[in-house]
Amino acid sequence: MRRELDLSLLVAMAMMIAFGVTMVYSAASGSGAWRGQAFYALFAIIAAVAVIYVPDKLFYELAYPLYGICLLSLVAVLVWGTGTPARWLSIGLVRLQPSEFAKIATIMAIARFLGDQSSERVSGPRAVVLAVLLAVLPMGLVAKQPDLGTAVSFGAALVPMLYWAGMRPLHIFFLTAPLLSVVFSFEPLWQNQAPIVFALFIIVSSVIIQLLLARLSVTLTMLGVNLSAGLVTTYLWANFLRGYQKARILTFLDPESDPLGWGWNIIQSKIAIGSGGPTGKGFLQGTQTKYGFLPAAHTDFIFSVIGEELGFVGTVFVLSLFLFMIWRCLYIGTIANNRFASLLAVGLASMLAFHVFVNVGMTIGVMPVTGLPLPFLSYGGSSLLTNCLAIGLLLHIFAHRHEY
Amino acid sequence: MDPEVLEDWARKMRGLMVLAGLLFAILLLRLFHLQITTADNYAKESEDNWIAQKRRKAPRGLVLDRDGEVLARNRAAYSIQLTRGSREDDAKAIEALESATGESVRLGKRGRERTVRLKRDVKFRTVAIVEERLRDEWPLGIAIEPQRLYPAGALAAHIIGYMGEQQDDLTSHQGRPYAVGDYVGQTGLERVYEDSLRGWDGVDYVEVDVRDRVINEHPFPDRGVPPRSGRDLHLTVDLDIQRAATNAMPDSLAGSVVALDARDGAVLAMVSHPSYDPNVFVSYGSQAERQRLIQDPAKPMLNRAIQGGYPPGSTLKMIGAVAALENGVTDTLSTFAACAGSLQVGDVVFRCANRDGHGELNLLEAVETSCNIYFNHLAKILGIEAWHDYGSRFGFGLPTHIDLDPSEFHGILPDRQYHRERDGWVTGHLMNLVIGQGYMLVTPLQMARYVAALGNGGYLVTPHLQGKAPDPVRIEGITDATLDIVRRAMYRVVYGEHGTGKRAQVPGIEVAGKSGTAQGSRADDDAWFVAFAPFEEPEIAVAVVVEGGGGGGSNAAPIARAVIKAYFDDQAQRQAVAADSPNNKRRGI
Repeated sequence: MRRELDLSLLVAMAMMIAFGVTMVYSAASGSGAWRGQAFYALFAIIAAVAVIYVPDKLFYELAYPLYGICLLSLVAVLVWGTGTPARWLSIGLVRLQPSEFAKIATIMAIARFLGDQSSERVSGPRAVVLAVLLAVLPMGLVAKQPDLGTAVSFGAALVPMLYWAGMRPLHIFFLTAPLLSVVFSFEPLWQNQAPIVFALFIIVSSVIIQLLLARLSVTLTMLGVNLSAGLVTTYLWANFLRGYQKARILTFLDPESDPLGWGWNIIQSKIAIGSGGPTGKGFLQGTQTKYGFLPAAHTDFIFSVIGEELGFVGTVFVLSLFLFMIWRCLYIGTIANNRFASLLAVGLASMLAFHVFVNVGMTIGVMPVTGLPLPFLSYGGSSLLTNCLAIGLLLHIFAHRHEY
Repeated sequence: MDPEVLEDWARKMRGLMVLAGLLFAILLLRLFHLQITTADNYAKESEDNWIAQKRRKAPRGLVLDRDGEVLARNRAAYSIQLTRGSREDDAKAIEALESATGESVRLGKRGRERTVRLKRDVKFRTVAIVEERLRDEWPLGIAIEPQRLYPAGALAAHIIGYMGEQQDDLTSHQGRPYAVGDYVGQTGLERVYEDSLRGWDGVDYVEVDVRDRVINEHPFPDRGVPPRSGRDLHLTVDLDIQRAATNAMPDSLAGSVVALDARDGAVLAMVSHPSYDPNVFVSYGSQAERQRLIQDPAKPMLNRAIQGGYPPGSTLKMIGAVAALENGVTDTLSTFAACAGSLQVGDVVFRCANRDGHGELNLLEAVETSCNIYFNHLAKILGIEAWHDYGSRFGFGLPTHIDLDPSEFHGILPDRQYHRERDGWVTGHLMNLVIGQGYMLVTPLQMARYVAALGNGGYLVTPHLQGKAPDPVRIEGITDATLDIVRRAMYRVVYGEHGTGKRAQVPGIEVAGKSGTAQGSRADDDAWFVAFAPFEEPEIAVAVVVEGGGGGGSNAAPIARAVIKAYFDDQAQRQAVAADSPNNKRRGI
């Protein structure tokens, strides 16, 4: 049977990777890091294409076993992990970051679980609780490393998948409302306005729920949940968080408060991007990059290098290419031949979108510094391989969309 | 798939794309703000990062004596600098430095500046350790800074003064800011001439990396301002005379010697003993030594020449003599009430140094033998007002306006009012004052100016250490005849049969002077001698005081002699050089 290839997605990915290797060359000039990245890229693209030829049902069958293996490897990281903080497993010469692969495995497991349920069942609490549990297990293990950014990304993929699988938006709001409570009651964010902001949120959300559902018991329950989420946040901030954790959050809110310490990364990244102006300083000409003012230039802050050397033109190009890829991934989700494949596509698309938003947001100061890599562009083999495998899965879904 | 399902998916996809579009719109808006709207600000901040303004410290002006011998110059000092990162990184770098050098390092309070000095003026061993073992791994560097050096050490410490570290960066003078850690003149000439010595700092624009290491020294050849060095200070002081005066002082006793050009007030030598090494104030490691100096009970930091207040003893008698002559109380030849060795004024009996009395005396003899009773008699007739008037005309109780210390001690020239405010007026006070005792206090510099005026025909000079001499002022109310008599009397002090200052004689030069033995607060009397020479056309005026030195004629006069001799030896040498030089030029040397 002839296998159709989604050339546009493959080309977009290849362009992105080639662009990434080029920018790594500039960001870490003289280190030869770009050669390593080019080697990983070659391997990762081959792996992505190879995924297309895997028999159709195999991923469905393997979803739970892979998920189990990933959970075990995450436990192994906690026990035998290397690096500071310990996020890697060394097996012989190979050094892997299991949390990267766990993203795909978890999305696959959730896709299988939700795909096996009917849309109606997903509206019920049992299926939602189990799906959340599937996400929370790896989330907790990754958060323990600690790697808060990656941990949150599991949740970020889950919510759109629940929506896709049939969960009602109002219920999704119920699910996420406590998180919003955390945000709206978070004192450093609102200064001494926090009580007012939080009270407003509680009142408005309760009124909306009451108007939509007209069931006082639900409204009161949600009110209780949201109130306690907000109060717990306030309590934890005051009594539980360690000094450096608070510092990190406060620095995100006000980088200038510690310009040489925690705030350094954000300030220097903004200077790099801003000073790039409309057309940039030119390839290899970024002074923030080449004189070391920009930290982690070839990994977490590769987007800042693009902004500095290629300017607004470069950043718009990169974001457009990402948006195209996200659209293409979602589109593949709409033409998939089964629920599992469709959900898998949506999960992977969400994961990609989340990474791009958090990483780029970090470099321009709208998100905190989390250490999430920018897909396809940041230096790092595990991340590149994971993202290519994800695209490989989508190519696979596209190629097999007419099979039943 | 079921068309209904496909329809549902397509609808949900549109919803998710709207969400993704919104998120990306946030990013794009923010990027537009950074890269288009406020790009200029960030471009400026980026430039501030990699184009560092490095101050180029202007070399401080030298201080030279009148023969060109260097009294203050600059040397290179090495400092270890830290380019700051996070607190943890700073602490680690400091720890590495401490363990490599074995010395403790303290980091000051956290400011905004990126590069801070950790250690100043370090030994070369430390420089080598940082340069070879630490520099590549840690944000440490070496800076070379000019540091003051006083080659003459203690010899001219009180004239040159010393410098100290600027503690804050808020002060600036004449639009020239000081940075924390700059050395600024604290005392002496270093302070008075700070503005002309320090020069104008320049600025260099250099290309630096995040560790403040210079990548390119001259990225913009046309930008940057070179430093303008400070003006050299050419002093009137002659180190040979200064040295002779210092060597002539007894090691164990404190005191002071001032030598002025009798004609214009140029300071030839100014010694305050004991002295100190001003280098300890510009050497970073000498904190303990500085503390010791400041607390030393012998007060080596005090410039006794302008800050020391002494009773002048008999060296002041010429004031009484001048006042008496001008007021017609006596003349040269009249002999005056016999000195019987003592005189009763009121309840108090005043005694002469010669207990048997000098017998009948004229003024010349009274000065020559330094007879107290003679001057007591003069004063009784003269009165406090006339005496005080002439004391004031010779500059006592008044600043000399030397360009060394705006807060020089003015001395005390008591008048009737002064005593009334303390213990009431009795004529007995005048008996003390006229022989330089009582509440009378002078500085050695005032005495040198006074003796210069006696020698040079009545001109009050302004003592100065550099530059053009201020015009001398003719003291009013003194006739040449009066001066002539007093000068002859002072000549007899050195050459007369009964002269008290014979030990001031210099072979080949005629010296005139006056001794003094003053009873101060110390157990032993202060020895004084004031002199000018040559007698006919005075060139040098000298004042010497030795605290607790005993008899002025025996102990202070030899010091005056040494200074006068050094001056004329030096003059002879200068004339020899001047006579030689035209020949040298002709021979092309």
